[in-house]
Amino acid sequence: MAFLIVVPIAAGAAIVARKRRSARAGDGGHRHVVTVYRPLPELESAPLPGSLKEIADRVEVQLRAAPGDRGTEIAVRIPEGSDVTSGEVRRALRETRSLLEAGDVLLPYGPATTVPTLWNRPLQAATRRGREGGLL
Amino acid sequence: MKALQWLGVNKLAVGNVPDPELRNPGDMIVKVTRTVTCGSDLHLLGGYIPFMQKGDVLGHEFLGEVVEVGPDVRRHRVGDRVVVSSFIACGSCWYCDQKLYSLCDNGNTNPAITETLWGQAPSGCYGYSHAMGGNAGSHAEYIRVPFADVGAFTIPDEVSDERAVFASDSASTGWMGADLGGVQPGDVVAVWGAGAVGQMAARAAVLLGANRVIVIDRLDNRLHQVEKHIGAETLNYESTDVAAELRERSGGRGPDVCIEAVGMEAHSPGLQFGYDQLKQQLRMQTDRPVAVRDAIHACRKGGSVFVLGVFAGFVDKFPLGALMNKGLTVRGAQMHGQRYIPMLLQRMAKGELTTEHLATHVMPLDSAPEGYRIFKEKEDGCVRAVFLP
Repeated sequence: MAFLIVVPIAAGAAIVARKRRSARAGDGGHRHVVTVYRPLPELESAPLPGSLKEIADRVEVQLRAAPGDRGTEIAVRIPEGSDVTSGEVRRALRETRSLLEAGDVLLPYGPATTVPTLWNRPLQAATRRGREGGLL
Repeated sequence: MKALQWLGVNKLAVGNVPDPELRNPGDMIVKVTRTVTCGSDLHLLGGYIPFMQKGDVLGHEFLGEVVEVGPDVRRHRVGDRVVVSSFIACGSCWYCDQKLYSLCDNGNTNPAITETLWGQAPSGCYGYSHAMGGNAGSHAEYIRVPFADVGAFTIPDEVSDERAVFASDSASTGWMGADLGGVQPGDVVAVWGAGAVGQMAARAAVLLGANRVIVIDRLDNRLHQVEKHIGAETLNYESTDVAAELRERSGGRGPDVCIEAVGMEAHSPGLQFGYDQLKQQLRMQTDRPVAVRDAIHACRKGGSVFVLGVFAGFVDKFPLGALMNKGLTVRGAQMHGQRYIPMLLQRMAKGELTTEHLATHVMPLDSAPEGYRIFKEKEDGCVRAVFLP
């Protein structure tokens, strides 16, 4: 039982710690990058879709062809002074990739079958921001 | 609707939950007609994969009837009888294009958890914790199937529900172990674990032309199934020196391909099990890798080890020296069901692949908590419990 409590808390703490480290390091130096399995000319021919479009004027976006016919790399850098967070960029990149590749962004299951408890609060907090965390 | 819910460690109950809804245009809703327990569910039940929430619905191996389709669904219509891959995949990303469907970039709505744990996130799975997307599972009357055109397959008329349901996960997982493990005609193949996945891996090795296929377990009823239904040899590790037997049966070389189909709660005779059990209980390692160690030691020089059993985190006493010095290839994966299910259904239709014997206990969904107890305790020769919602 202790494992059930400790590990989600530890995972949540790790995510928070990573966010804080990222914030302290200054997001200006770190690019968030995804590879989208679509050719570069296709991405250059139209504005990028989804939530990346919404933050595009507050971040620097670069496109380049991925090696090995793997599509296009989308790199986003948050400039000094921008109010955009790394979490917003991660979410935007993931949603944009999904829109470009699959034509849609998968929504979480619903309606929920779970009930909130004291023990699952850390996990619920983590999953509420499931596309904003991680290493991207 | 009724559903089997996880309420806490080793606590299950059938309760009422909201019906699933179409959330994306490519979704469909399936009325579940058969849904199967899996050994990997026991890791969730026992708290070894700690990303569950009270009320989560278990189950990832199932079939049923389509009752509602989203506007973008093209391959299925209401009334179709379909079997569904346990992993969710978009069918359009680079990984899907490589047929590595369980690595899909767009099928997991919670990539942050596994990305933080493992570096990158696999795709989502039904009923397999919030680390795998938090999708409600199939031990329910209805289930939402995202990317339905990619993950659901119409069942040929000549294949019964009883047979087809195991294409959803067990058969496709087992086939993947033999296929990506690189089984070639003439090979000697050893499979650790005579549960449904191990049996299906062994049958795949037989059908791919292996010269000898040897399945290792401690449960005689499962080993009898292997001899009767799979056409493979058996070894009971509680009464045999498995390493010596494998050397003898492979001309002293060791098996060419070793498939591990046991996972993180492996048993073994002797001190090794006590050591691993103690470390796992003390949370000094997350998984008991006994069968992986044995497979690496037994494998011939230059051979291949494929890890099919589910592991969550870290293990101790991993034989990296044997792996490196013997030049082994070690590979693992969650199942790429979309890659194999159409072929498996054809083989099932031709009678090459039979699975009905795996369903040792068939019962209504209302009895699912008792079904899991019987399955976990391996009572009464239970190999798989199948629920009828």
